[in-house]
Amino acid sequence: MKLLKSFLSFSLPLLIMLFMFSIYLVVTKVVVNYKENIINDYAILVITNTPLSSIDSLANIKVKNIEPLSRKNIIKKVKKNLSETSVDLLQKKLPYFNKIYLEEFPTTVKLEQIRKELSGIKNIKKIETFSNDHNKLYSLLVLVQNIIFILFAAVLLLSILLLSKQIKIWFFEHNERISIIQLHGGSLLYSSKPIIKIIVGSALFSSLIASSMLFTIISNIQFIVEPEIMEFIPTVLSLEMEVFKIFLLSIIIPLITFFGLLVKYKLK
Amino acid sequence: MIFAKNLTLSYDNKKNIIEDANFMIKEREFIFISGSSGSGKSTMLKSFYGDLPIKKGNLFVNKCDLFKKNYGKLLALRKDLGIVFQDYKLIQDYTIEENIMLPLKVHNYADDVSKAQVKKLLKHVKLSHKIGAYPAELSGGEQQRVAVARALAHNPSIILADEPTGNLDDYSSDMIWTLLKNANEHLGITIVVVTHRIPTDMGIKYRRFNIEEGVVYEAS
Repeated sequence: MKLLKSFLSFSLPLLIMLFMFSIYLVVTKVVVNYKENIINDYAILVITNTPLSSIDSLANIKVKNIEPLSRKNIIKKVKKNLSETSVDLLQKKLPYFNKIYLEEFPTTVKLEQIRKELSGIKNIKKIETFSNDHNKLYSLLVLVQNIIFILFAAVLLLSILLLSKQIKIWFFEHNERISIIQLHGGSLLYSSKPIIKIIVGSALFSSLIASSMLFTIISNIQFIVEPEIMEFIPTVLSLEMEVFKIFLLSIIIPLITFFGLLVKYKLK
Repeated sequence: MIFAKNLTLSYDNKKNIIEDANFMIKEREFIFISGSSGSGKSTMLKSFYGDLPIKKGNLFVNKCDLFKKNYGKLLALRKDLGIVFQDYKLIQDYTIEENIMLPLKVHNYADDVSKAQVKKLLKHVKLSHKIGAYPAELSGGEQQRVAVARALAHNPSIILADEPTGNLDDYSSDMIWTLLKNANEHLGITIVVVTHRIPTDMGIKYRRFNIEEGVVYEAS
């Protein structure tokens, strides 16, 4: 019972931290996926008097491609309702339409900066960023992602405190054994082997449970999230990397806490 | 082997327990450190294995300067010592075999070599039948024999024993003295024993240091 209690005292905060981390990973994946999706469809439209010369980057975002819209096609579309003189006049007066594709989706701040940079080019008559619809959902997702990250960081700090407290208890429980081994020339690390074993065991247990929880959530995601977000979820379902990250974190955080305490004891 | 010059020891820099001690213990010697209760016998022994910082003076054990010791040097020194305590200091959830194997594991001996050495030592201390038992299943005398076997396991150059017979009956005490005597005579190990009860018929050459009110002197 005592063993189970001490095992749970260590595994539980670790498990909660890993669970928060899993949620953070999923949300990050959703945001990245959404960002990748919208950037393919998204372009800034600029109207110029003469053909637009090449632009390398806007607001530190690389320009993927500038696609001039065919003037002939535009005229073709409106030609039916116009007289020949009007068509001739239109051909002479029609400005150049260009679509600017970016490497990544800009934030509202960056969009404003892009608008300013484009306005500085004399040749440009009009700029249309079409950002409103995309930006609302994207901003919301980024907000959720940031909130979850802050929550994760808070839980991480709290977990480290609880883990270090439990490791201290284990050091105290194994104090006699540790001092006997040290009296025989065993290092502090060598004499703490039983503690390392419990830590690794608890970490593996916690990562297994957290991975199972993540798998359950992903499998039943349609019952958890809004249908609007569902369209971004299916491509997220590559769990191997997430499980690996959870496993790494479950081992690294307790071991860093353990080695931190070990250094503290050694300095003593 | 053990050399002390103006050695002064105290706990927390308060009253000196040992003051300006000067002595030398050579290889293969059998030394008794005696004195009344609270005279500082065990304190001095503790300083030999670096469990107590030196306040003043010099103390060299196996060429290790314990005044300037660091963690690595201290561990290296302890690897070359065998220590026997009055309260045995056996690890309770280790079997007798595992307890004796401890210094061998610290020295990274191969498992088969360690097991063979443990069998030999258990035969020597007449406890072969207890190889798989736990310390709690043994009497005090048997536990102390295990502790002596553990101290001998890695062929140390010095064995430090703090009141090794303090809690034992006469029969068990005799066995412990015989084991320590044999280690000194046949294996050439230097033995330093803290005791307030020196056996009358040791049958070997030994020296005795006495401690009185912090002063260490060689008694005849």
